[in-house]
Amino acid sequence: MTDPEHGHQHGHAHPHAPIGQESPPGYYEIMETAFRELLVERGMIGPDEIRRQIEVLDSRTPALGAKVVARAWVDAEFRRRLLADGRAACEELGISFYDDTRLIVLENTATVHNLIVCTLCSCYPRPVLGLPPDWYKLKAYRARAVVEPRVVLAEFGTVIPDDVEIRVSDSTAMVRYLVLPRRPDGTEGMDEESLASLVTRDAMIGVVPVAAPAGRMVQ
Amino acid sequence: MSGGEQLVRRLPNDIGGLSAGPIERVEHDLEPWEKRCHALADVLDFRKIINTEEKRRGVEALGSEMVGALGYYERWIVAFSNILFQKGLLTPEDLARKMDEVAARHATPQP
Amino acid sequence: MNRQAEPAGTALLPGIVMALGEEPVFRPGDLVRILARSPIGHYRVPAYLRGKTGTVEAVIEPAAIDNEQEAYGRNAGAKRHYYRVAVAMTEVWPDYAGPEKDGLRIEIYETWLERT
Repeated sequence: MTDPEHGHQHGHAHPHAPIGQESPPGYYEIMETAFRELLVERGMIGPDEIRRQIEVLDSRTPALGAKVVARAWVDAEFRRRLLADGRAACEELGISFYDDTRLIVLENTATVHNLIVCTLCSCYPRPVLGLPPDWYKLKAYRARAVVEPRVVLAEFGTVIPDDVEIRVSDSTAMVRYLVLPRRPDGTEGMDEESLASLVTRDAMIGVVPVAAPAGRMVQ
Repeated sequence: MSGGEQLVRRLPNDIGGLSAGPIERVEHDLEPWEKRCHALADVLDFRKIINTEEKRRGVEALGSEMVGALGYYERWIVAFSNILFQKGLLTPEDLARKMDEVAARHATPQP
Repeated sequence: MNRQAEPAGTALLPGIVMALGEEPVFRPGDLVRILARSPIGHYRVPAYLRGKTGTVEAVIEPAAIDNEQEAYGRNAGAKRHYYRVAVAMTEVWPDYAGPEKDGLRIEIYETWLERT
C-alpha cells in the first residue's frame, strides 16, 4: 500500500539525506516557505502556529476511528449516541474537531453498505482518520464512485451482493462521514482493544469490510 | 454548448460521473513541506484569512490546465498566494522577492 | 442531523418570530428537486445532480453561510440550512447497472432545493 519510495514516516524533523547532500528545495516548497515567512513577519500568523497544527495533524490517525468503531461494537448505548451525533460521541472519547465540520456516522448492516467519496475535492473525516490517501483525492475514485460504486468496490476486492443496498455519500460542504463497518463473525469473545486492531482506514471509508481476525475460524 | 462555455460552467474539480480509468491505490507519506502546507491551510481557515471555501475557489480558479498539471499541495500554495494578492495582504513583488531570498539561502553553502 | 426536541421542562417564550433562514424550510421526508441552475465562479452542487429529484433525509444543524458566498470571503451573516438528500442511482443515471435500491446521499444548501 505504501509507496516504496516513501516507506518511512515523514512529517517529523529528520533530513532525507545527510546534511550537505540535501537536494535544494523545489519551486513550490520555496513558495510555501516564502509565503509562510511573510505571514509570520507581518504578524498575520504566529511563529508557532504551523508547528502546533502539524502536531494536531500528526495526532490524528485511523487508530482513532478504529477506537470509535470498536467502542460502538461493544457498547450499544455509545453506538446509539454515535449514530445520532457523530461529532458529540467522538468528543466524548476526547477526539476534538479542530474545524467547523459535522460528522455523520453511517452504519453498515446486513442490508446496507455505505461508501464515502468527495467528488468535488477531498473532504474526509480528518479529525478521526487523519489525512486521506492519495487514491481518495485522485480522479478515478472521485469520478467513478458515484456512477458505478459496485465496480469500484470490486476493484478493492469487495463484492456486495445485489440484495444489499449501496449508499454512496458524496461529501461536499460541512458534513464529513465515517463508515461504521460490520463487526466480523468470530470476534464474539474479543475485547475492545483487540477489536480496534482489526479496523482499517479503508473499512471506515467503506471500500473494504473488516476482516475476521487471522487464525480464528469464521463461524 | 461551446467548449469555452463548458469550461466556464463546469469547474475543473467537478468530475463526479466522468469516465476514468481503474483505481490505482497509490498513497505516500507527505513531504515535510506538504504537511506544512496542509497545516498552513488549517491555520489560515482558523483565522479566516483564507477560509476553506475560499481555498477551494482559489484552486478552481487556477483553471483546468493548471489543476491538471500541478500536484495537490502545489495547487494550494499557488491559490493561497493569488487570494492574498486579491485581498491586498501581499503583493506579487513581496512574494517574488521573498522566494528569491529563500532560494538564495539554500544556494549558499552552509558552513 | 434531525432537529433536537426541546429538553423536557424548557418552556418556549411566546411571541418570538424567527428570522428567514433560522427555521429549516424542508423536513425529513419532503420530496425535493435539486435545481438545475449553473452558477459560475464557485459552487458545491456537482453538475451530475442538477435537476434530480430526491427525498430530504435529515436537516443538518446548525444553519450555515451559503458556501457560494463564503468562497468570496463572507464569514458572517445570514445563514440557512443544509439538508441531507437521498437520490436514487437510477434517478441520477438512467442506465445505472446495479440494483434499483442503490442510492446517493449528498448535503444540499436550502437555496438549491424546491419542493416537488
